[in-house]
Amino acid sequence: MRTILPVTKLDTIRKSSYILNSMVRNSIRSQYRNSILGVLWTVLNPLLNMAVMALVFSKLLGSGISDYPTYLLSGNIIFGLMRQATSTSLTSIVDSFGMLTKVKVPYSVLPLSRTITALVTFAFSFIALVIVMLVRNVKFSFSILMTIPFLPSLLLFSLGIAFILCTLYVYFRDMKHIYGVVLTLWMYMTPLFYTVDRLGNPLLTKLMQFNPMYQYVTYFREIIMMGTVPSLESHLICYAWGIGFFLIGLLFFKWRRKYFILHI
Amino acid sequence: MEAQVFYTSYLIMAKIEKEKNELNLTIPSQEEFTNDNKELLENFEKEEVLIDIQNVSMVYHLASEKVDNLKEFVIKLIKRKLKYREFWALKDVNLAVRKGESLGLLGLNGAGKSTLLKVIAGVIVPSFGSVEIKGTIAPLINLGAGFDMQATARENVFLNGALLGHSKKSMLQKYDRIVEFAELESFMNVPLKNFSSGMLTRLGFSIAVDVNPDILLVDEVLAVGDAPFRKKCFARINELKENGTTYIIVSHSIEQILQLCTNAIWLDGGKMVMAGDAKTVCNAYTDFCNEKK
Repeated sequence: MRTILPVTKLDTIRKSSYILNSMVRNSIRSQYRNSILGVLWTVLNPLLNMAVMALVFSKLLGSGISDYPTYLLSGNIIFGLMRQATSTSLTSIVDSFGMLTKVKVPYSVLPLSRTITALVTFAFSFIALVIVMLVRNVKFSFSILMTIPFLPSLLLFSLGIAFILCTLYVYFRDMKHIYGVVLTLWMYMTPLFYTVDRLGNPLLTKLMQFNPMYQYVTYFREIIMMGTVPSLESHLICYAWGIGFFLIGLLFFKWRRKYFILHI
Repeated sequence: MEAQVFYTSYLIMAKIEKEKNELNLTIPSQEEFTNDNKELLENFEKEEVLIDIQNVSMVYHLASEKVDNLKEFVIKLIKRKLKYREFWALKDVNLAVRKGESLGLLGLNGAGKSTLLKVIAGVIVPSFGSVEIKGTIAPLINLGAGFDMQATARENVFLNGALLGHSKKSMLQKYDRIVEFAELESFMNVPLKNFSSGMLTRLGFSIAVDVNPDILLVDEVLAVGDAPFRKKCFARINELKENGTTYIIVSHSIEQILQLCTNAIWLDGGKMVMAGDAKTVCNAYTDFCNEKK
């Protein structure tokens, strides 16, 4: 006969990993269900987007950049990772209403699974970036490997925001519309298709330092396009933003968590 | 501890019987009683308490009007118009379910049966009181607990398995059995949104009983599904019972409770009215329902 034990923390973690695995698979599959090209779209999407933007902006804003398409795409996929992780996480708790009222699920699994899905999409976009670099004859350097130690900082940052957003959305459904506008503003305030020098305003350049996405985009471009390993300072800044936001988000989420079920 | 409880309940029972039938009973002292029923007590105490619920109350603050956007919230906050109405879904419920026990929950609509199940499932944390659970729980609450309607039935088997704490690998071993039991072989690659409610129940039931939970929670699901499948479900539940699975069933069918459960409790207005063996509670509840009419 089986001995019956109370459910431990370790069991919960193991269970969470099974759920994450299954959810991430399902969400990636469902994105491309019924499309002829299927997962190929994950690579094609950033490529085509980049092509459109390059077509529109290269004459206008492209001067002074060694390779405009690479510049665009590298910025876009970094911003895109944050955008997908946070905007899909926003509704994650409310969307899973049916599940949460029936089975005991650790709530943090939901924003976490959306963030991991965004990471998988990023991996495909990265292939697109490599293709562009090959086509445009951009020199590859070993510094590209720095992506691996760099990504966790961005993921922590995104996850922190995701925690805050999905909590707020439980209480205020307006968050979806508000965050949509915020994201657009944020995108234009981050030098994705222009350079900071182009702004020609020292005050703006200074203020830009306080935009965490600027820090992440700059770091990533440095290892991709300049082929150098960024300074220790850049690492510290990226991780400070990441860990800071993650902790704030997690605490906020934990503080409200037990009331979720009463509000969704 | 258990002996004490047993003796007290015996005393009460004896008193009632005595008054009712004017019997000349000599009531034994506690020691005598414990000695006489030693074997019974020991057997009973051997079984572990899997679900221990003490003084559990659940209170909801129902907003008189639902406020879920920022503008309304701020306006109402300023005007101090955020009024709440209290609703006690459960009030001071005590319950201990031992291993191998089968418990039926009876009560009218809104009596707190589903809330109690949700408290046991760990989905909601009660406002007051303590809940201690040992072992794994498979909830079968409404249709498809935790199904992703966009995904196919096959994907959902693995997702549901994960929600119940099983890895993909262990679900692969169970997969064929689950599909066979649900009799849905030719529909496994169809998205769940195209499933009928009967098919959803079949799938949900088949998964929940195949993951071998320590505790199975069943809420009103047996009403769905056609007669042959229902029969199969009953047989499976009885099989689980013999294997020592503990289960709790919510049903409006007295017949089902009598058939599947040894014990029952009756809830009304969030309070426990009666607890005891299924037959006694069912009879009292039926009387109550008839009176109401």
